[in-house]
Order: sequence, then C-alpha cells, then structure tokens
Amino acid sequence: MGPGVDLGLPLQLLINGLVLGVLYALIAMGLALIFGVLEIVNFAHGELYMLGAVAAYFLTTSLSVGYWGTIALTTAGAVGLGALFYEGLLAFIAGRGFERSILLTLGVSMVLQNGALYVLTATPRMETTPYSYRSVILGDVSIPLLRVFALGLALLAFAALYVLLHHTRMGQAIRGVAQNRAAALMVGIDTHAVSRLAVAIGVGLSGLAGAALAPVYSVHPTMGVAFVFKAFAIVIIGGLGNLPGCAVAAILLGLLESVVGGFFSPTLVDSLGFLAMIMLLLFKPEGLFGRGVRL
Amino acid sequence: MRAAWRWSAILGAVGVSATFPLWAGSPYGLELGISVALFAVLSTGLNLVYGYTGLLSFAQVAYFGIAGYTSALLWTNFEFPMLAGALMGGLLAALLGLLIGYASLRLSRHAFAIVSLSLALLCQIVSRDWVSLTRGPMGIPGLSAPTVAFAGIGQVSFDRPAAFYYLMLSYAILVLALLYRLVHSRIGRAFLAMKLNQPLAESQGIDPLGYRLLAISISAAVTGIAGGLYVFHLTIVDPSIFDFYYTEAMLIMVIIGGPGSFWGVLAASLAFSMIPDLLRFSTDLRMIFYGIVLVTAMLAFPRGLGGLLPARIAVPWRCRAQA
Repeated sequence: MGPGVDLGLPLQLLINGLVLGVLYALIAMGLALIFGVLEIVNFAHGELYMLGAVAAYFLTTSLSVGYWGTIALTTAGAVGLGALFYEGLLAFIAGRGFERSILLTLGVSMVLQNGALYVLTATPRMETTPYSYRSVILGDVSIPLLRVFALGLALLAFAALYVLLHHTRMGQAIRGVAQNRAAALMVGIDTHAVSRLAVAIGVGLSGLAGAALAPVYSVHPTMGVAFVFKAFAIVIIGGLGNLPGCAVAAILLGLLESVVGGFFSPTLVDSLGFLAMIMLLLFKPEGLFGRGVRL
Repeated sequence: MRAAWRWSAILGAVGVSATFPLWAGSPYGLELGISVALFAVLSTGLNLVYGYTGLLSFAQVAYFGIAGYTSALLWTNFEFPMLAGALMGGLLAALLGLLIGYASLRLSRHAFAIVSLSLALLCQIVSRDWVSLTRGPMGIPGLSAPTVAFAGIGQVSFDRPAAFYYLMLSYAILVLALLYRLVHSRIGRAFLAMKLNQPLAESQGIDPLGYRLLAISISAAVTGIAGGLYVFHLTIVDPSIFDFYYTEAMLIMVIIGGPGSFWGVLAASLAFSMIPDLLRFSTDLRMIFYGIVLVTAMLAFPRGLGGLLPARIAVPWRCRAQA
C-alpha cells in the first residue's frame, strides 16, 4: 500500500455492511421460519417490526425503562403477539391456499400501518438512550455503540435459534413439520403447537430487531416497508424457507449495499436487492442455495 | 332470454354513464364518475391476471405509475401528445410485466407475488429518490390535457372534467369490451384451464408460461395506458401515484367481486369507488377500512361475495383452484 491509500474507508464500509446485513438477516429469518413451517408469506412482517420499534420508543421515552429492559420487554411482547397472531388469524387459513394467506397478512399490514399513521402521525421520532452518540473505535474505524449492541443481540438470537432448532426436541419438531407436515402429524407431532411456536419466534425476531434499531434509525409508521422490501429479496435469493441461505443472502446484501452506497447514488443502493433478485431468478431460479425447505 | 336481459342491462348502463355529466350536478359528482371509470379498468386488469390466470399481482400500481411518469415526461420534455405518451407508457409497462413475469414464473406463482410486490415498492422508492429524472417528491406539475377539434362538435378541451370523463369512459368501455372478448375466447378458456388443472392443461398442449405472460402483458398495458391518461387529469405526477391505496382498492374490488367473475368485479369496482367517498373517510381511515374488509373477506368468504351464491349459479366457477 502506497501512501495516500486509505484503508479506513473500505474497512468502515465493510463493517457497516456487516452490521446492516446481520440486521436484515434478523428480519428475513423470521419471515423464512414462518414460511418454512406454515407456507405463509407474512406480508405484515415489516409492520410487526415497526410495532416493536414503536413499543421500544414508548417504553424508553414515556416509561423511562432502561435500554436492556426495553429490549427484553419488547422481545417478550413480540413473542406473545406472535402466538396471538397465529391463534387469532393465521390458524384459520394455514394450508388453505397461498393467495389467501398473502391477502390476509396484507390486510393486517394495512390496518397496522395506517392505524399507526392515524394514531402517531407520520412524524419520525428519535429514541435516545444512555448509549446514544457513543462509539467503539478500532484503529481507523468507528462504530456507534448502539450498532455494536444490535449486532451482538442479533448474533445471540441466531445462536439461540440454532441451538433451539438443532439441539432440542422442540426444534426437531419444528424442522419435522417444515420438511413434511403430514408425516410430522403421523408420528404424533402437534403441528398446531409447532406452528404457533414458529410464528411466535418469527415475530419475536422482528420485535427484537425493532427494539434494537429504534435508537439507531428514526421511528415512524412506514419504517417497516423499506426493511421488509429488502427481506423479501433476501428470502427469494436465499431460497424460500431456507434459513442458512437467508442468513448468507442477508449478509451479502448488507455488504453490497454498504460498499455501493460508499460510491454511488442512494437510488442504486435501494434498487440493489431488487436487481439481485431479478438477476438470480433469471439465471438461477431455484435460489442461491438450491430448492427446498431447510431449517 | 338471458342474452336479451344482459344486453338491455349493458345498454342501460352505457346510457346512464353517457348522460351522467348532464345530471351529475356538481364537479364532485364528475370526479366520482372519473374515478369509477378508472377503477373499472384497473380492477378488470387485475382480474385478468388474478381472476383468470390465478397470478396474484401487486405490480398493477407500478404499471399505472410508470406509464403515468412516462407520458408526463414525454409530454414535458419532448412535447409528445397525450395519447401517444400514454401508449408509450402502456408499452413500457407491458415490457416490465414481461420481465418480472418471465423471471419469477419459472420459479413459482409464489415468487411472482413477491417479486411483483417488490416492483411496486421499488417504484415508490425510485420515484422519490431519482430526483434528476422524476424531480423527487416535488413531482412533475403543469400537465394539461389537449384541446382537440371534433367534426360536428367543435373544439373540445379535455382539461374540462366533463370532457375528461367522456375520455376515460370511452377508454373504459373499450378495455372492458376487449377483455370481455378475450376471456370468452379460446385464449380465455386456456387461461381458465390452466388455473383449474395445470398438468391437464399442459397435456392438451397449453403452454402455461406463454399464456401467463400474455395475460400479464395485456393487463399491464391497459393499466398503464389508464395511468398515462389519468395523470393529465391530476395535472401532476408525483411519487403518490405509486401509493398502496390503488393496490388495496383494486384487490378489494377483485376479491369482493369474485376473482374470475367479469360482472362481479365490475359491480364491486362501482361500489368500492363510491363507498369510501360517500362515507367521507380520510385516507388513513379508508386504508384501515379496506384492510379490515380484506381480512374479513379472507376469513369469511375467500371467493368473494359471488362465492356466497348458490352452487347452481356458481357452477361454471365451482372447481376454481384452491391453492
């Protein structure tokens, strides 16, 4: 490296991209988990993420709950909401047609988004925490502390999900139902309970993402749209219902967006996910990591 | 007997809509009339892809808006006439429809739904961010519909709501007649055969991808042309042309009318262009209302109000594919 070549910028972009990608993965994996078990594409996923962020905002601002308390409460609330979402709505349409499930969750998403607009108005709100405006400095690279926490929380959630899916009987049941619902039913797995659990975890992940990102980005009723738009692209790129594929696709997209964003216009950055999705569908329609449901 | 009844109903409807500006009474009434004609085209366009070929498309609003931007930009920058601009917009929309259809349908119908939604969201974002082309949230203002001399009538300025109403109405009647012919032709039967039983249809030599792409591109073209014309009534095109409101309204009309039912969807588009207006809902409340209607419909009567009809009447549609 000759003089004048600055390693700081590329490294900074790389790290920003990694953080972004892991957070995309948090949302996309919830989407993929629900699809894997129920064959339902949850179009309300972005709004559930928004609800998580709104809840975190009010817990911190109005009730003065601390940062970690807010994260824990919001995630727990989201898990409960997910179970309720399944029992109240999804259970009635599971297995009754793909279009029907899309339209139902789309209706839910419109009610939530516009309900939030009606109650909260479109004004963006900023959540401040004791950790805001502090950064971790590593050589030339500085990362805001809240992003480091968000990254850590996401990695922790992945580890927990991995252990749950691969080292517990409950996880075995989830994977069984995702592989073959009828066969799972025949060997005595309670598919209803498994579905409820999968939706609860999926919504819990998006709630966690909302709570972790509320102090990083501004909170407003349409914040879910941009995120879920990326998540859809990731889910297609990674292969529908393929969790590891999704995680890799999410991190790749985050890195790509960050690097491209360093040099090109924001329009191109926002279009990247879509362009990647179209390219992939044209040249490798079964997804980066092959067809089939793998949890 | 039934045919006679149908034709008198059609003639009556045409008569009522043709004389509408004479007794509409107010500019507000005319606005409502234009909106009914617009949504009749949009929802029938969606019905063609969703109702007849079974592809859930969220991209209709993207075709509508892209063609709107195309005709507005061509008019502003190159002085294209309104009609030519709208046709170019329709063409572009059809090409875009072919692209996403070809890319996603080789995977599955599921992928098509997701990709079409992504396209609609992408259009929203790009129209807002690509300021050098679209002027971002400011939009492209000052569009004005042309004044045309007609033999026998004289100069007609389409800036006047009544004249624009007739323009939109003629376009709607043209599209409805064309699509009615289409879905009742060999091609329409192929659409339906594919939707009812794809392997069987394929064994009869029907190529699903080709027919689906045909349906998508026709639907995109008619929806796009409607957008290319409509922006001249709005006089401005800005990112709100891609608003989810249009998507949701179209979906409600097709679903409540009954996917695959030509007259049901037409009746629903009439009802649902008027109900929220008559109830004086604000935009937020209107979207909530539509959302609740959508959720209720999916839980209670997924085949539309038409699906609640006795089986005897619904026989032609009885084996509609569930998945």
